[in-house]
Amino acid sequence: MTESKDIKSKTVTRRSMLKGTAAAAAGIGAASAIGGFPTVWAQDLKDITIRQLGLAVSNMDPFAKMATDALGFTIEQTATDLGTVGNRGITQPKSFDLLEPAYMQFKFVWPTGNFQPVDINRLTHWDKVSGIYKESGKGWDDAWLGDGQRPHSVMYVDGSGSDFKTPGSTELVAAMPILHNADTIGIRPDEIGRPINSWGELLNDEFNGKTALVGFPAIGGMDAAMALEALGKVSYQDKGNMTQAEIDETFKHLIEYKKKGHFRALWTTFNESVNLMLSGEVVIQSMWSPAVTAVRAKGIPCVYQDCKEGYRSWSLALMIPNHVEGKKLDATYDYLNWYLSGPAGAFFARQGYYVVTPDNTQKELPAAEWDFWYGGKEATVEIRDPFGNLMEKPGAVRDGGSYKNRMGRVAVWNSVMAENEYLTEKWNEFVAS
Amino acid sequence: MTQLTDRLQRYSTALQMTPLGIALLLFLIGPIIVILITSFYKFNGFLTIPDVTVKNYVKLFTSGLTLDNYLETIRIAAIVWIVTAVLGFIIAYYLVFDVISLRAKMLLFLLCVVPFWTSGVIRMIAWIPFLGKEGVINRVFMSIGIKDEPLEFLLFSEFAVILSYVHVFTLFMVAPLFNTMARIDPSLIEAARDNGAKGWQILLHVIIPLCKPGIAIGTIFVLSLTLSDFTAVRLLSGANVGTVALSISNQIGSYNFAYSSANSLFLLIVLLLIVGGIMRLVDVRKQL
Amino acid sequence: MSGLVKVKRSNWFYFRSTIFYLFLLFLYGPIAVMTVLSFQGETGGLTFPMRGASLHWFADVFNPSYIGDFRWPWGRSVILALIIMVLTMVISFLAGLAFRKGFRGNVVFFYLVVASLIAPSILISLGIGRMFTSLDMQSAWWSGALGAHLTWTLPFGVLIMLAIFSRFDPRTEEAARDLGATTWQTLKSVIIPITLPGLVGVALFGFTLSYDEFARTSQVSGEHNTLPLELVSVTGTASTPSLYAIGTMTTIFSLLVIGLSFVTLYVIQRRRAGGA
Repeated sequence: MTESKDIKSKTVTRRSMLKGTAAAAAGIGAASAIGGFPTVWAQDLKDITIRQLGLAVSNMDPFAKMATDALGFTIEQTATDLGTVGNRGITQPKSFDLLEPAYMQFKFVWPTGNFQPVDINRLTHWDKVSGIYKESGKGWDDAWLGDGQRPHSVMYVDGSGSDFKTPGSTELVAAMPILHNADTIGIRPDEIGRPINSWGELLNDEFNGKTALVGFPAIGGMDAAMALEALGKVSYQDKGNMTQAEIDETFKHLIEYKKKGHFRALWTTFNESVNLMLSGEVVIQSMWSPAVTAVRAKGIPCVYQDCKEGYRSWSLALMIPNHVEGKKLDATYDYLNWYLSGPAGAFFARQGYYVVTPDNTQKELPAAEWDFWYGGKEATVEIRDPFGNLMEKPGAVRDGGSYKNRMGRVAVWNSVMAENEYLTEKWNEFVAS
Repeated sequence: MTQLTDRLQRYSTALQMTPLGIALLLFLIGPIIVILITSFYKFNGFLTIPDVTVKNYVKLFTSGLTLDNYLETIRIAAIVWIVTAVLGFIIAYYLVFDVISLRAKMLLFLLCVVPFWTSGVIRMIAWIPFLGKEGVINRVFMSIGIKDEPLEFLLFSEFAVILSYVHVFTLFMVAPLFNTMARIDPSLIEAARDNGAKGWQILLHVIIPLCKPGIAIGTIFVLSLTLSDFTAVRLLSGANVGTVALSISNQIGSYNFAYSSANSLFLLIVLLLIVGGIMRLVDVRKQL
Repeated sequence: MSGLVKVKRSNWFYFRSTIFYLFLLFLYGPIAVMTVLSFQGETGGLTFPMRGASLHWFADVFNPSYIGDFRWPWGRSVILALIIMVLTMVISFLAGLAFRKGFRGNVVFFYLVVASLIAPSILISLGIGRMFTSLDMQSAWWSGALGAHLTWTLPFGVLIMLAIFSRFDPRTEEAARDLGATTWQTLKSVIIPITLPGLVGVALFGFTLSYDEFARTSQVSGEHNTLPLELVSVTGTASTPSLYAIGTMTTIFSLLVIGLSFVTLYVIQRRRAGGA
């Protein structure tokens, strides 16, 4: 009974066939470009299955099919929530072959010793990977560096020990980066009826009882910090790594707001945030971008509001557990290389996420779509998601504008602070107040 | 053959208890021991490290949050207990004494049980379209004109959590009460009536005392279910309610296995004390 | 049955009837909403209003287009619930036999069973999970989760068996033995038939408690989800009314299971009545 598959490709539809062929071509191209290590023959890999565990945003049937078709061995993806991803990485590392944690979880997951480093010499597209993950920590020169736990700071390792080294100082990384994006606040423009351009509006009395925060302490705390800092109520050395005094100050304000009935809810699931917005329970809240899309898909206006203070960003990566070795490890590297080679980038661009090799994505994405998703320009064609559903009509502009406007204005990276325990305790007091 | 049977009989009790013993040893006692050990481990903010420290317990007993969580949890449990007990009693009474036909009794009882077979998770989620600002109840209220403004306390509140508990747990009160009431000898009631007792006197002095074991068993069910639930709190309270089990689940969520172990062990002890108290008052086992 | 209460239709009677039927309404409200919303139109969401009506979301369960493939988790949950059902029946029945005769340490066992009933689900789940980890073993839905479910179903099973055996007149058994029946014959022809309705009850309890279990499974299901875990994980993401469709279908499935067990019970009783 254990061979049951959660998401496995057996039947191949015509559409995925077409896509698959294109992807396969790219994949083979990528494989042949690899030098310096033996490429495993396709027939040897045929029976290999790589079980990936990650979030629902990036683990789904059509994507697993596309990868499977391109690679000649099976990619099986199971979707769950972020907490479970981390928990499984810590407690059950044998239950998957590839884990997809967020960078903010690295300090929990990596030191367990359950994972092996990724050798960047085996990553054929490493030169195309964004500078965010390299020495500078920025995609380009005038990009903001951002507070908190920047991905490159919890990435470079050496063969021994579990601590992280200076960015760029080693050739081994704890995980291979795959995706990133920038989060901001979601609003109901129809209900608010005036322009919004600051995180501070989240705590405006005008929206008393009509706001919500994300209910995860680390992230909710940072959203609150963005708002409090914007209002000038609290100033922070580093919003992504607050001191105890800063945490005290933050929660003193939050509890005051809560006592006034300011927060309608603290949501912890995607659907809650969608329902809160759809039903009009709240008009301004912390939100994830696919949730904004889901609200709009129901015909309710919703905007992922670009704010002057910038964005709170996040990134996901793939980590290889120790038990993966031999041919399976070779196949895993083939998959990692395919992931960064372009087709995956095009797939996720249509979902609104960015794969960390934008140059390769551009090669796979028609120019009109590239201009919409990355360029922040007006759509000139109908914009469809990877499943063929219409997302935007010609003339629409993406919320938050261009890739540079978003990933170049990262105010803070999703982080787990040194004072995380203290923050969680204060958060629980806030919930209980 | 006879010898074998004799020997088997001699060991039969031990053999009969072995499967239960193994199951409880492996999956109840084993985990509790592991949790006990883990509760003395150290958490460095990111990793749980095998080390001996009483820090977790010191934190547990000095943190104001523990008290807040327990007060909130006990308050919710008390409300749920009273509502389910009263409701459960009335329902069981109706089924046992008011409905005469055995077939009707069975049918109505089954009707109470059927929803139990729908996924509990879905039954909780299904309250959301009911209770929301633009949910069924608010629409009805506003269209009849009872209210001009939507009631906000309905969803993402303690109320929603309690409602969902009553919804799911009342049956755990009805079943044992039904069981004990059905065993009350009707002639006892008749005798009381013949002696001139009024309806409420019969209820107070005959029926309720005889139902004590049923109430006790139902109480054990409802309290242990309420005190260890965190799903409904997570889905329906909008994180506006802080209960003990939710705190533990959040601590596991931040991978602090040491502190969550100490916390859940303490919850087990609290539950054991409560249930031990109930079982001292009523000999549950004799009344089964 | 005494006609006492039937004759006196006091106001209290109407009060109790009203409460009862209001309770039924309360019980079925959310399920009705779920059923209605599972026929939501293709563009509809998890809440009202309905955007047309369709069978789209039912089809979606069997041919998942995006996320949330419920078929395997559902299958796993059914298989696990069946295994739990059989184990609970056998273990509780055997324990019931032993408890009935009484033995040294029966009080300890009784309290252990009660402890198993009231132990916080999250403690059991975390404990079993950590136990597997510390033994360097991999928990799965058929190992760790199976054990976690047993800690929940066995107390119900054992308590029901205790109740059944306490009403079982030992003289019946003695009579059988006096008539020369062996232990096995007594078991087969006397004890099992008399306790059968109780055993069916244990089976039903075992099946449903396991089928619906979430909290105890949360840390120990291993690589693959059971249905309740899958449902909760899907509520955390972009879920669709197929969530309700699966709810509607599992309810119908459960009704079939109950229906089947009641028919079985009825047939057994008929046969027994006929044989007597």
